[in-house]
Amino acid sequence: VDAGLDLDVAVRHLVRRRAPRVGGAAELPDTLALSTGGAGLDSITLVELLLDCEQRFAVTVAAELLAGAPLTVGRLVSGVRAALLRARA
Amino acid sequence: LSGQPADPPVPACPAGHSGHTAARWGFDAMERRLAALAGTHPAAALRGAGGLGRLRNRLSGAWPSPEQVGGLFPLLDRAAAARVAWRIGGMECRNRLLVEIIRRGGIAALRPLLRQPSPLAALRPPLVLCFFHVGAMQGLGAALEQLPAPVLAFRQGLLAAGRPPLEIVSTEGDDQARATAFHRGLERLRRGGFVAMALDLPSARAVAAPCLGRRLALSRGPFALARLAGCPLVPLVARWRQGRIDVVHGAPLAADPAIDEIALARAAASWLEHYLLDAPAELGLGLLRHLLAAETAAASSPRRSAG
Repeated sequence: VDAGLDLDVAVRHLVRRRAPRVGGAAELPDTLALSTGGAGLDSITLVELLLDCEQRFAVTVAAELLAGAPLTVGRLVSGVRAALLRARA
Repeated sequence: LSGQPADPPVPACPAGHSGHTAARWGFDAMERRLAALAGTHPAAALRGAGGLGRLRNRLSGAWPSPEQVGGLFPLLDRAAAARVAWRIGGMECRNRLLVEIIRRGGIAALRPLLRQPSPLAALRPPLVLCFFHVGAMQGLGAALEQLPAPVLAFRQGLLAAGRPPLEIVSTEGDDQARATAFHRGLERLRRGGFVAMALDLPSARAVAAPCLGRRLALSRGPFALARLAGCPLVPLVARWRQGRIDVVHGAPLAADPAIDEIALARAAASWLEHYLLDAPAELGLGLLRHLLAAETAAASSPRRSAG
């Protein structure tokens, strides 16, 4: 559980670093979209955020997460968690 | 130019028209005739389009006007600016026909029009190839097929498919769709390939750099790709030479971590400026309008702008 919480906090920290618009918000809801209509990340910054996650957690997630439904904070956290579990399996 | 069964029907000139409208209708009809001719005789049709476009510009004094050309090239006197405007008019008409040829026959129809050998065959990946809306830009698709490794070319909307090593992807869509294309480009570079994309007339966020006395907005994508992949950018243009499509490229602009995107943008804009000062008639109408609408570059350093 602790490891899960750490992951959640670490991913949200990376989002805050790339998204100044939400930097001061008390919490980032899982449903917050990362690009248009949410955190407002443009295409380049969105890729940079995913590369941050890949580097931080030593996983590969960018192509998989970009190809799916609109990327939200919750999808990013769960995508990184799933990639970590796959890597450990 | 006519008399073939495949010629398209020519709509009648609207009744009650002015002389100006009639002239426009007449030129449009001649362009349609040339498009029909291009199916069997593309080189002849393209030569005809060049002449037709020059004449159209000369008679209309617009698209572009000598004043517009003079606004960007103040060292040209009025007569020289008018000659450049005629040649731009000719190039634009030829390019419209080129697009029509691609629509009908795909990129394959352009291959015989390429000048050989192509300088692109000597380039070594990974490189970000950034091109501009000058010269025969629509002919670049066929030229990129000459590259010696897989190349991913970005385009707003798909006009035609390439053949290996060229793959063309659309950048249309929302930020996540563009991010997907951007990430594919990054992967292509990391695997030792090329990425080709337009640098000017950006559709998203831009960085501005001085060019021809204006602040030219340039797409951030190519600079960001070069930075993230740690590879150089190479500026390139396609141009018309003796009825064929020729490609010329500049020296690589190094993506040194110490050199930020703004410095790279400035170097790329400077390359374009030098190219256009040598060949002002290569300036595409869209880029010309964009430059004329941009603020003047009185300040000494480039800056980011919202695109």
